[in-house]
Amino acid sequence: MRKGISVAILTAGILAGVGQLPAMAAGGEVVSMRRLTEQEYRNSIGDIFGKDIVVQGVFEPGKRIGGLIEASAAILSVTPVGFDSYSKMADSIAVQATSEKARDRLISCKPGSASQPDDACAAQTFNHYGRMLFRRPLTSDELQSRVKLAANMTKASGSFYTGLRYGLASLLQSSNFLFRVEVAVPRDNGYTLDAYSRAARLSYLFWNTTPDAELLKAAQTNALDTSAGIATQVDRLMASPRLDTGMRAFFSDMLQLDNFDNVSKDSLLYPKWSVQLAAAAREETLRTAITLALHENGDMRELMTTPKTYINRNLAAIYGVPFDFDADWVPLTFTPQQGRSGIVTQISMLSMFSHPGRSSPTERGVALMDIFLCEPTPTPPANVDFSAVNNTDGPLKTVRERLMAHATNPACASCHTHSDPIGLSLEGFDTIGRPRSTENGKLIDVSATIQGKSFVGAQGLGRFLHDNPKYPACVARKLYSYAKGVDSEDVKAREFKAATKAFGDSGYRMRSLLKDMTQSDEFFHAEPPLAAAKTTKLASQ
Amino acid sequence: MKLDRRFLLRGTCQGALAVMGLPFLDCFLDNKGQALAATGKRIPTRFNTFFYGLGLTKSLWVPKGAGRNYETTEQLKPLEAFKQKMNVFSGSRVMIDDNPNFQHWSGVGASATGMSPSKNGQFDSKTIDQTIADVISRGARFKSIAAACAGDPKQSYSSLGGPNNLPAEASPLSLYTRLFGSGFQDPSRTDWKPNPEIMLQQSVLSVVAEDRKRVTQRLGASDQARLDQYFTSVRESEQQIAAELKRPDIEAKVEIPTAPEEMTVNSALPNMRKVLPLMARLGALALATDQTRVFNLSISEPGSQMFVPGDPLGYHQSTHEEPLDPVLAYQPRVARYNVYSMELFAAFLKELDAIQEGDGTLLDHSLVYGFTDVAFAKIHALDGIPVLIAGSASGRMKTGHHIVGEGSPVSRVGLTVQKAMGLSVDSWGGGSMETKSPYTELMA
Amino acid sequence: MILQKHLLAFSSATAILACLSQPAASAPWVRGFVVGTYEPAFRYGGRTGYARAGEIEPGSDCIHGNTIHFSNSEQIRRALSFQPWRSPEEIKIVSTLPGLEQAKTPDQARFMIWDRAMSYRGWRHGIETYINPFAAQDPGQPEVVSRIGDGFNLDGKIGAHDFVSPDGEKGIDNALYRAWGCDAPWRGNGNATLDMRSNDKMQEGLYTMVIRISGNQDPMNDKDATLEIGYSPDKIVKDARGIVTTDFSYRIAKTAQYTKMKARVANGVVETEQVAELHAPRIAWFYDHAGDAEFHQGRIRLAIDADGNAKGVIGGYRSWRDIYAQNTFAQDGGQQGVREHEDGVALYYALRRNADGMRDSKTGQNMGISTAYRITAAAAYVVDASKPAEITALAPEEKRREAYLRIVNNMKKATTTRIVQDVTPGTSEGAYPNMERDITGLPIADYLLKTLDRPHFDDPPGPQASK
Repeated sequence: MRKGISVAILTAGILAGVGQLPAMAAGGEVVSMRRLTEQEYRNSIGDIFGKDIVVQGVFEPGKRIGGLIEASAAILSVTPVGFDSYSKMADSIAVQATSEKARDRLISCKPGSASQPDDACAAQTFNHYGRMLFRRPLTSDELQSRVKLAANMTKASGSFYTGLRYGLASLLQSSNFLFRVEVAVPRDNGYTLDAYSRAARLSYLFWNTTPDAELLKAAQTNALDTSAGIATQVDRLMASPRLDTGMRAFFSDMLQLDNFDNVSKDSLLYPKWSVQLAAAAREETLRTAITLALHENGDMRELMTTPKTYINRNLAAIYGVPFDFDADWVPLTFTPQQGRSGIVTQISMLSMFSHPGRSSPTERGVALMDIFLCEPTPTPPANVDFSAVNNTDGPLKTVRERLMAHATNPACASCHTHSDPIGLSLEGFDTIGRPRSTENGKLIDVSATIQGKSFVGAQGLGRFLHDNPKYPACVARKLYSYAKGVDSEDVKAREFKAATKAFGDSGYRMRSLLKDMTQSDEFFHAEPPLAAAKTTKLASQ
Repeated sequence: MKLDRRFLLRGTCQGALAVMGLPFLDCFLDNKGQALAATGKRIPTRFNTFFYGLGLTKSLWVPKGAGRNYETTEQLKPLEAFKQKMNVFSGSRVMIDDNPNFQHWSGVGASATGMSPSKNGQFDSKTIDQTIADVISRGARFKSIAAACAGDPKQSYSSLGGPNNLPAEASPLSLYTRLFGSGFQDPSRTDWKPNPEIMLQQSVLSVVAEDRKRVTQRLGASDQARLDQYFTSVRESEQQIAAELKRPDIEAKVEIPTAPEEMTVNSALPNMRKVLPLMARLGALALATDQTRVFNLSISEPGSQMFVPGDPLGYHQSTHEEPLDPVLAYQPRVARYNVYSMELFAAFLKELDAIQEGDGTLLDHSLVYGFTDVAFAKIHALDGIPVLIAGSASGRMKTGHHIVGEGSPVSRVGLTVQKAMGLSVDSWGGGSMETKSPYTELMA
Repeated sequence: MILQKHLLAFSSATAILACLSQPAASAPWVRGFVVGTYEPAFRYGGRTGYARAGEIEPGSDCIHGNTIHFSNSEQIRRALSFQPWRSPEEIKIVSTLPGLEQAKTPDQARFMIWDRAMSYRGWRHGIETYINPFAAQDPGQPEVVSRIGDGFNLDGKIGAHDFVSPDGEKGIDNALYRAWGCDAPWRGNGNATLDMRSNDKMQEGLYTMVIRISGNQDPMNDKDATLEIGYSPDKIVKDARGIVTTDFSYRIAKTAQYTKMKARVANGVVETEQVAELHAPRIAWFYDHAGDAEFHQGRIRLAIDADGNAKGVIGGYRSWRDIYAQNTFAQDGGQQGVREHEDGVALYYALRRNADGMRDSKTGQNMGISTAYRITAAAAYVVDASKPAEITALAPEEKRREAYLRIVNNMKKATTTRIVQDVTPGTSEGAYPNMERDITGLPIADYLLKTLDRPHFDDPPGPQASK
């Protein structure tokens, strides 16, 4: 009896302590709810509970909006099927975290009795993990309901750790974990993200994971409300090798490398294509981008022209070079004669935007315009006769000839002249990215004219993109939209204008872009939807 | 193309426009992802495996065309009645990496675990049925059940990894006793008791659902709608669990038969033809009455000892001894044995398809993963190891396809299966067979 | 000037053309290959398109068709009757196996009984005659009768029994073909069972054999070229059709098994010098019997096609006892007998009879037999390893390899000293204790346990029932 009371008092003290931390500043509004992507979820769990926790279950798919999957995270919800899976994953993670093997490492307090409820230890545990999972302190209500749940479960099962398990599971399937809830508070004349939302936005951008202890502390001490405080954290995040993880996620999204899961090739015509090759091609592109952007602090325009890449044994067989086995991945520099130009001519880009049995200048052109120049192409009208384009038995041997015949139709021409030239300049590479000089026995013409500029072949295209100011502006636009989780087509250029300028001034260094962008006022600026809605409502009344 | 966020949220299930919108995903799954019985109760999706030894004859089983409407081949003819409820996978490969090439075992391990085994006769990790059972078997009495039609309890290809396979019931009687003997609660009886684990899960969900009251922030309309959807999903889960707390309301009109008699259970084909339908029916009844959701049936060891009485060689020996017919370019006697395996497979599917429940049959609400040990038994070749899948997993897997694997690892089939069963991560398998590419054309 | 104009006209395609240009003549060149198929060069003499289903195909090589041993009761009966110590009752029971259908797995039981019985064909009880084949009577093996054969003139002579190559070259030494070319699992028109099986296992990673040819003149014609052959630690890569892929890279391991030879290239055909010792991997389908083949007076010929792939022959004298061991103890002698229908004892005598090289000066016996093996090879990059490349051993299989080596040692000791050797433990030789396991339930089980010999290991000698 006596013991029961003392526990209750202790718990009350802890709960009171929590209660003092405001979950959010007054007048806060939710400006965005971003459903965790699979990778964000996995990285977060790995950082909070350790890498040996197995995460297995379905993640609901995203959808590319404005060129980015990340933008859809802010408009997708959780379906019943998805919740079912999240719920099971939550339980499975909680079971592992409270298992005998893991509890010494993960549960910092010991219960008075392993078979009795211990509210103090439960509260301590939920406080700790709740803050990590919700990326903010729990409210006292949120905490108390878990402590109560754990106590009940302990009584029902006769085990304190079973109680903890169910409490943790309830945190892991909460909307506050599954969504990154971004809250904005009024400041000056507008709204800006509160400190904890800032911490999460920075952490997921730079490391693609949940904020670490230091970021949470910076949020708690209001350090993230000052530009100096932000600069300190940004510098720290950028100095870490974990920046690779964050930027891999960005480049993977921007370069649409998730598409690779659906790429398949005609095995009779292209028997060298394999799932291993596809995986390697994706990795090659990410390595190239990360090395240039982060390890060499290079000029990002060179991504379009660099002769340097990284290959494994599979890729060497496609590029037609010997592989020396020094490591699983080794650097390779193409000779000018090989006709390669940056990631534009990597197997990933060439094969992803092609048909199974042949290359597609149109698909390649449309994709590259969208990815690198932020110029999407409208979808074709429904009533198009494609027979001329598809007939390879007729007199029109090369795809250029066939496309030209097709483009005499004025309805098609406007778009085809927009994107086809880019694709036609890449015709020196087949649908799996091997060089070729003829198509159906006829020599391929790889010259192109676009926006008044003429060039020849992939290297000409690479140079054209390198020199095109729209390309770095597009990188800045995509990065900004990715970080904020918005449709890149809705973003106004002025929002990231300063960052784009700094990008150019630095000689197009990715690190400068990242640093300048995250320190601008616009980066944390938010439009409060509720306030806007209210205004509209009032107006309509 | 520009996608307007507000438009997307307005999208409904009926309009064609909604196909481009995002809530489409939800209604899609509501309609197809979960079979709903007439009562509105969700019918669980079940998983089965069917193992047969010694593969098939390539020139006689691989259909010529790919995709839908392929032409049925000689060796798939016994399964013709189920053609529209099946998928056929040819051209799969087993990569053995640095493990030994165990004749008659490497293929079994690869098909069942997605990785080539490092020890003969052992699985290096959980077999696919157990991985699936981890997720789908909550609430069922048995996590999984295995039965061996040739009478050897060792003929089970279900394992948690390591030296011990989960033993199979080796006669119809022992299978019956396990399922419907002591401990069996007839769902039609009033003194039925729920699984206590489920009650605990329910309490967790109510805490999660209560979080809704604690939302202190103000939300915009669209985010409010998304949060509503999340809590709707939580509620659905709660309802599902509540349903599991009640006496199972079995959709299928089935009666539990009396115990079968003792009978000879061995590798002789006439006996197998008697035993298999009995075992298959008991398995189907166990699935229909939710005693288990995972049923594994095998008809042989990997180098199948099946024999037709009077045949001096039997199946396994025939694969080695019978020469390739110079005209036919295959082994005629082996080819007949291949067909016997397929006939037994068809007999299994027939039992599953005979039980009506809700909007379809038990087979429609199942997946059956049919696998074997080799592609070409004469030389123990693994290239082109066949995989046959039946059932549509309650509409989550498109059926009627012939998928040409083109040398991709056999683990892709397993990954596809797991996705269709509503679980799994983005990758499955190990070594060179680790894959992130399911056959997306089959994902409904 | 005209040339320049010509070039300008094609300027748009120059970048593409440049990378396809061939190396000029009189420049260093290298060509690499990974071996994709590797089979004994047994020339098939059957008629193509011969169409009588299920029959054994005769041909100019084997006029009575393939030899098929131990495939039915009659063949077993005949083999048993060679042993004078077997009673008529035993011969009848073992060959007809009354009540066999009462075994749980009749096929397996029959197989094991015959495996056991055929492993003991000595002049007295208790001699395992795959390890001691000299103690069994020669069952006979029809030889290849054709005059045409593939291979090399290894001894530089044109002997009376030598083959003539399809190109008309006389003096071809390929006595292995004569001795063993009519054996069923090795004979076929591209579909010989053990050819298919060993090729499949090689392609699946049992071992990788690579060849590299280099020179300084012209890849099609070079008087001073070099050919290297060796193992690679890198697995063979197959494409989506299941065919060995071209253009992959493979390290060549410069171990004791690596051989470097001088060669000449004429019109794309590479001919090496004859070297005293040529190492290559040997044909195998299990890890335990895989390993090196040592060719004495070895040579290689390779014809390179327009796509850069190659076909050719490796030849030389090999120890005929090695060949016997590698074939017979792939699993165990009885399994090769009853499962593949070849008789190891017949092989032993056929090899000994046809041995034509590596004469032992002390005994005057020929220790070797002339051989030729055909290979096909896919274009590959064969590279030197920057770090020593080793062929990794498969730890779980090493025990079996040791057991294999022990049994081979005993066989060699037995056949050279003519002192009967025991079965070594660790292999399935003599189907022990597999037969004991599989005959449970047979009405003749007790009779067989009392009557048939079995390996003894630690037990006291003599026929006896096992536990």
